[in-house]
Amino acid sequence: MEALVASAIGLLTAVGIYMILRLRTFPVILGLTFLSYGVNVFLFASGRLTLNAAPIIGRGDTYADPLPQALVLTAIVISFGMTAVLMIMAIGGHLEAGHDKVNMAEDDDTQTDAQTEAQTEAQTGDKP
Amino acid sequence: MMSHWIIAPVVLPSLVAALMVITMRGDLLLQRVAGVASVLALNGIALALLWAATVHGPEAYFLGDWPAPFGIVLVLDRLSALMVALLAALALAVVLYAIGSGWDAKGAHFHPLLQFLLMGIGGAFLTGDAFNLFVFFEVLLIASYGLMVHAGGGTRTRAGIQYVAFNLVGSSLFLFALALIYGVTGTLNMADLAEKLPTLPEGDAALIRVAAVMLIMVFAIKGALVPLQFWLPGTYANAPGVVAAMFAVMTKVGAYATLRFGTLVFPPSLAATGDLLQSLILPAGLVTLVVGAVGVLGATTLPRLVAFGAIASMGTAFIAIGAFTPETTAAALYYIIHSTLATAAMFLVADLVTRRRPHARLEGTAPPIAQTGLIASLYLAAAVAMAGMPPLSGFIGKLLILDAFRDQTALVWSTILGSSFLMILGYARAGSRVFWKVSALDAQPNEPRPEPLAFTATIGLLVALAVLTILAGPITGWLTETAATLYAPDGYITATQLGQER
Amino acid sequence: MSLALIAALPFLGALLPGLMIRAGRDACAAVTGSVTLLALVLLALQAPAVLSGEVVQTRIEWLPALGLNANFFLDGLGLLFAGLILGIGLLIIIYARFYLAKSDPMGQFYTYLMLFQGAMVGIVLSDNILLLLIFWELTSLSSFLLIGYWKHLPAGRQGARMALAVTGGGGLCLIAGMLILGGIVGSYDLTVILENKELVQASDWYLPALILILLGAFTKSAQFPFHFWLPHAMAAPTPVSAYLHSATMVKAGLFLLARLWPVLAGTPEWFWIVSTAGLVTMVMAAKIALFKDDLKALLAFSTVSHLGLITMLLGFGTKAAATVAVFHIINHATFKAALFMIAGIVDHEAHTRDLKRLGGLRHLMPITFTIALLASLSMAGIPPLNGFLSKELMLEEAAHTVWITPWAMGLLATIGALFSVAYSFRFLAHGFLGPVRSDYPHTPHDPGPGLWGAPALLAALVVLIGLFPMVTAAWLVDVAASAVTGEPVTAKITHWHGLGAAALWMSLAAVGGGLLTLGAYPRLRAIWDATPRPEAKPIFDALIETLAAAARGVTDALHNSSLSRAVAAAVLAIAAATLWAFSGGTHVAGTRELLPVTPALVGIWAVMVIAALALPFFHRDRVVALVLTGVVGLLIAPMFAFFSAPDLALTQISVEVVTILLMLLALNFLPKATPVESRPVRRLGDAAVAGIAGAGMGWLAYAMMTRSAAFEPISHFHLAQSKPGAGGTNAVNTIIVDFRGYDTFGEIIVLGIAALVIYALSESLLRSPTVTRRLANVLPQREDGDRHPMMLVVSTRFLLPMAMMVGVYIFLRGHNLPGGGFVAGLVFAIAYLMQYMASGYVWSHARQRYDHHALIGWGVLVSVIAGAGAWAFGQPFLTSGFDYINIWPLEEFELATAAIFDLGVFLCVLGAILLALASLSRLAQRTGEDVNTRAFDINPADTAAEEVR
Repeated sequence: MEALVASAIGLLTAVGIYMILRLRTFPVILGLTFLSYGVNVFLFASGRLTLNAAPIIGRGDTYADPLPQALVLTAIVISFGMTAVLMIMAIGGHLEAGHDKVNMAEDDDTQTDAQTEAQTEAQTGDKP
Repeated sequence: MMSHWIIAPVVLPSLVAALMVITMRGDLLLQRVAGVASVLALNGIALALLWAATVHGPEAYFLGDWPAPFGIVLVLDRLSALMVALLAALALAVVLYAIGSGWDAKGAHFHPLLQFLLMGIGGAFLTGDAFNLFVFFEVLLIASYGLMVHAGGGTRTRAGIQYVAFNLVGSSLFLFALALIYGVTGTLNMADLAEKLPTLPEGDAALIRVAAVMLIMVFAIKGALVPLQFWLPGTYANAPGVVAAMFAVMTKVGAYATLRFGTLVFPPSLAATGDLLQSLILPAGLVTLVVGAVGVLGATTLPRLVAFGAIASMGTAFIAIGAFTPETTAAALYYIIHSTLATAAMFLVADLVTRRRPHARLEGTAPPIAQTGLIASLYLAAAVAMAGMPPLSGFIGKLLILDAFRDQTALVWSTILGSSFLMILGYARAGSRVFWKVSALDAQPNEPRPEPLAFTATIGLLVALAVLTILAGPITGWLTETAATLYAPDGYITATQLGQER
Repeated sequence: MSLALIAALPFLGALLPGLMIRAGRDACAAVTGSVTLLALVLLALQAPAVLSGEVVQTRIEWLPALGLNANFFLDGLGLLFAGLILGIGLLIIIYARFYLAKSDPMGQFYTYLMLFQGAMVGIVLSDNILLLLIFWELTSLSSFLLIGYWKHLPAGRQGARMALAVTGGGGLCLIAGMLILGGIVGSYDLTVILENKELVQASDWYLPALILILLGAFTKSAQFPFHFWLPHAMAAPTPVSAYLHSATMVKAGLFLLARLWPVLAGTPEWFWIVSTAGLVTMVMAAKIALFKDDLKALLAFSTVSHLGLITMLLGFGTKAAATVAVFHIINHATFKAALFMIAGIVDHEAHTRDLKRLGGLRHLMPITFTIALLASLSMAGIPPLNGFLSKELMLEEAAHTVWITPWAMGLLATIGALFSVAYSFRFLAHGFLGPVRSDYPHTPHDPGPGLWGAPALLAALVVLIGLFPMVTAAWLVDVAASAVTGEPVTAKITHWHGLGAAALWMSLAAVGGGLLTLGAYPRLRAIWDATPRPEAKPIFDALIETLAAAARGVTDALHNSSLSRAVAAAVLAIAAATLWAFSGGTHVAGTRELLPVTPALVGIWAVMVIAALALPFFHRDRVVALVLTGVVGLLIAPMFAFFSAPDLALTQISVEVVTILLMLLALNFLPKATPVESRPVRRLGDAAVAGIAGAGMGWLAYAMMTRSAAFEPISHFHLAQSKPGAGGTNAVNTIIVDFRGYDTFGEIIVLGIAALVIYALSESLLRSPTVTRRLANVLPQREDGDRHPMMLVVSTRFLLPMAMMVGVYIFLRGHNLPGGGFVAGLVFAIAYLMQYMASGYVWSHARQRYDHHALIGWGVLVSVIAGAGAWAFGQPFLTSGFDYINIWPLEEFELATAAIFDLGVFLCVLGAILLALASLSRLAQRTGEDVNTRAFDINPADTAAEEVR
């Protein structure tokens, strides 16, 4: 069973990273969502896997480790908030720029310092 | 003695922010007053904590009255107190500048977000629990996302997307690392880890090493350590100038966390990790310094130039941190204080310039800016500090670090001095372009804007640098003791009263 | 104290001009001058003690940990230099008052000048080499400002930057050198270092230290091959050239050589490096000076040449040579400063400094001519002037120094002297002699005494020292030279050394040869102009520009603001580092017995895998991609449930639903498809990177799950204390709201901030014209005519109250059973979301009565109050209490303060999601979406009516 979960974690992470490496905002967001799936399951797994041992006191004699579960809850909520923010940013970027590319263009000015220096010197005259 | 003041740096800003959101949403003036008041109070609290930490030594605060390591504890020691004080001081300058320059009026919720940012950073400095550190990283990050895209705009928003996305990857890495640590050791409390790790079974060493490296790389992302620095230039250069100034302390959160974990949890004396961290951080720091210095010389806009200056200063700081000896750590702490204030000052100056210029590009000329004389001299002072030239604290910091690295003269010295040369060139070029090479010298500069608060804030930071220089003696003395306590963390650990029922 | 005061005075003085300039130029100059005068007087008060052989000291602790202290000391050498700096400084201040034009900002000028003066005095008085470094770099800075003083001149800017680059770079070498030197001796105090010659010269670090220190000194004193910056510094106003670039700053390097002479000199390395550099500089610069037409350029190169002369003498390493060096420092300062001021006067009067356009000034400006005559004859080394005296002594020393061959040094020294005779006479002949011309740019006259007074005074010194050296200079030379050599020196300076003296014949040769050279000048000039020479400035500029261009290229190539590259780099770096870390430690596989594989989980797993694998291939249709994501996300819930984590399952489902719904809404503003942009190769590479990450994490997960924790997990405490300690049977919930309530506190604040950010961003979006324009073009997609199908609408209306009841229930049971404030908030939010989905943003938004901001604010506030409430009972933040309460007819139930905290959570969550929704709908209102006043588009009543017809 552990192997199944581990492989799932690996797959979710891999797919997440692959999608993050795409060039548009939406797939990147999905990728981050996948990455957080992987992370959450990994974090959950740090409490090891147990069957029929929900940490509700009085139910049964053995309990699953409740701490990782609590941590995952926190992680889920936080990543939810982050995703929401990134989503609105993506919308904003798209509406501002007219496209939803992730990578930004080079600086508009391609002239080298030497050129401009030379030009302005030519204008102002080099001799005092 | 247990004082509730330890948690004040977290509770106060969150309370103020909540009140701002509920009662003063429509009223900027009220928000400004509340913001300044809160930051002033924070400064008072920070100084009190600094005093307490110096006099009483480390002190823990048990949230929910649960004993460590089962509940969450805050630990106030000299280092965390110092960082909180630094945060408060910077925040004062930033909030004043934001008001004076009118940045806070250019978008919604500037002041609440700033308060939340302070809460997040303060919490990160004070917490003694690894997972709680993650939570407060997220608090400060999400607040920083909001401030980064404050006032909107196409490029800024798109730069924001990259900033957020990259840091979300970092947060995931953080969780991976924490999960691994808990999975291997079964605890999350930093002091508890410090006590348990030496007795860790041999067979777990490899996994804990992996966890340690992951953790350090999370902090390296915050600290913009090569090759994890790619996010910084775009972010800092596109963020509002005043926000970039505030971010000067966020990179230091990474430095702080590295120092904390590298001395408390994974100290050089720990068999499992040994010199693992040194052998990663020191080289990375050297490369970072070079990359930053080259960037200072090669930058095309003033904000970008300052951003690379920030990277360079983080490189220098991490060089000093990465050696993990009391001497280098003391130097690192002095340099961290300096670099925070200097970087912030430089960003504010850059903002003063760019808001008066038709374009931010360094090449090409522009009409003379208003108040050019004053701003030029502020630029000179800030540049001197950033480039580590005398007479400001940057030079002293550099000397301290050089002196602490006597045994590795060839590599470290040549890197530090060589990159200083590149930075001197870079700042001189930029300065002479912006302030001397104006299109028409006798052309009337555009209408001067009276921004007394903005100038006060900037000058205040530079004055702080001067004080840091003049009082270098006592300050380094205090820092040396602080560094010593970091390498003898018994006080920190005993303060948390591990396992004792309360 | 007084020494520190002398050093500090100019810095304090630097503050005054800015203020005094309002009171007029005269007041400004007067105040500045009087500050310098005061410093000079204070120095004079120390003089007697120093002349009687004492060493005056002032020690102030600054940074003892590092050994950096504000220690000053004054001995003969310091006295000589401080006297020069302050004395000439005073003359310069007077001169500048009359030289600067009305348009020049005089206050600024004096401020910079005083800064420089302070730094310079600091150098020569420092008793701590780290302190000396600080002043050293300050001179570079202030000279940068002074050279660039005339902002409008590109030459000024470039000259300033060049000077800063060279001297600043040298300064950095000097830092290293000084730190090494201090390291060898174990102290940074000069007085200590000067007493450790043997220790230093025996150390392996001697040579590196020497080279680094010499780099600092040579760059500052413009010694070959760093001589090229000085002539370009002449773009500065003439007072600056006279002060910095002839009398003082360029002598800082010489001062350093003299200061450290007792420790560093006397070794072959010292002799060869220093004397050779000096010799080459002297000859080469003298030759160049001869062919310069610009008066200031001529003087600049002559300065370089004379600095070389002094360097060479110091390089000899003998007591006698050092004494001569000291004497020449005095003489050169007098005649060269005077000559610069003369050049300034000529420029000021004739509006040109070009020798080709001058000549005959003797008749037009007799006073100026007289001064020029004396000074330049002294420069040429003509008796009985002071230049002659030191030149004779220099030649004598050179003649007796063996350098490669016994005679080479003497010969070259003579040649150098020859050239200096030649250019000195050219300065006179082409500048002042000859017929009066009619084509000056501006007809010159003698200026007022304000301008010629200072040079006249210096010329007087030239004559006096020349005539009565023993009376006027010897005593100063003695103390200074004794300080340099560390042994008592009594100089014998005479005009006549007898026929046997080699110097006599050498200088005769020099003078004769010099005159012949000048006679042959036109032909020589033709040859000179014909021969191609490497020009320093273009080379240097090219160097710097290539450096800058390279830097820019590297920087832009490295930081091209590409997220995908940043992430790829990060992933690979992390993978490499972790792998390396792992290989460095021992790893023993875990021995925990594994769970049996059950078909149910295999099923879940299989579907999850398929959906996940499908995403990379089908993600271009974004709706499909979203569905796939949703499938995976929802499947994680049963997995959690399966592994006994009901709370997680509940949360995962509700969060997933909200996330997907939000994304669905967001997709209205984004393209529905992702175009193909990256080539297959790149996609393959990305897949590889992703694969590495996935494999690593999967393996780590397996390694972790198959072993037991090394120590008992802290959670045993939570299980044990959940009921007795925190008063709840649901351990997860008690951890969330109690044991680790502080985490939750941060968590809900994250959520609250998220909402605020979303709101703020949508605000600024709405204010941007481009956005509103684009929004107007975002047409709501109508797959069919019915955007808001009636059934959906009706069902959601039903759902709303039910969902709310469920929410309340979940909230209340949370503490003991799966649930809690967070899930409850989500359920509420989902209920609202459904309304948005069913009836559109606008309709639903119009029916939002209460304020989301307040909800969030109250959420935070409530949780803070719940936490801080404990303070009232002297308990720390977030300490909760609980009790069991009986209220008829309800059965006994428990009330925990944690529940109040949970309420805060609930409010925050609900408010955050609603605020996010509201922000989206405010955007939507700007789209083409027509405001539907009715809940649904197609009213069954209407359709029914149609059927009837």
